Amino acid sequence: MAQEQIGIIGKGIIIRGNLTGGGDLVIEGRVEGQIALKNHLTIEATGKVQADIRAEELTINGEASGNIDATTKVAINANAKVAGDIKAPRVVIEDGAVFNGSVEMEVKLPDDI
Amino acid sequence: MANTVIGSSIVIDGEISGDEDLVIQGTVKGKISLKESLFVEGSGVVEADIETQNVEIGGRVTGNIVATDKVELKSDCRVVGDIKAPRILIADGASFKGNVDMDHKER
Repeated sequence: MAQEQIGIIGKGIIIRGNLTGGGDLVIEGRVEGQIALKNHLTIEATGKVQADIRAEELTINGEASGNIDATTKVAINANAKVAGDIKAPRVVIEDGAVFNGSVEMEVKLPDDI
Repeated sequence: MANTVIGSSIVIDGEISGDEDLVIQGTVKGKISLKESLFVEGSGVVEADIETQNVEIGGRVTGNIVATDKVELKSDCRVVGDIKAPRILIADGASFKGNVDMDHKER
């Protein structure tokens, strides 16, 4: 059994609609719509996501299309296919990854400094 | 064991379909159609019409349920909606409001 704060969307599952939450999420299946997550989202090699994604951190090993807005980091690993615009302070694109879109790394200082 | 888990802090608004087991500990609104088993655990809240083979409910479900095999309402669950399935189990302590249709076929 997975830990309580981790959600897993398995290979055989298709979700159409909005997905929001506070825990970590691993997608091995398909998600179409919108994803807003407070923590870490991982799209595994079998995962296909057609959605605008907002998350703290995003790791992509599979396919993603849509705009990505991450508060810390986006990692596009080898074998991943990504189409869309990425906005995040840190963006990593590995050798072998396919990416089409723009990257915006604008780093803002927190207001409370 | 099922390998899809909608964790307790996850909220899904939309449609879930698929051909593997699904465990819901979080919140799902919309529609669920599965070919396998659905488990709504104690912390799970579902406001959706459900179409599946088996359902086990320990949490809260609002919506109509159609199962091709079995629906099990465990104690402490709260279910509002109509249930249609060949086998329906309601445990002592469960709270349920709705119609039951067992579509009993002569064998």
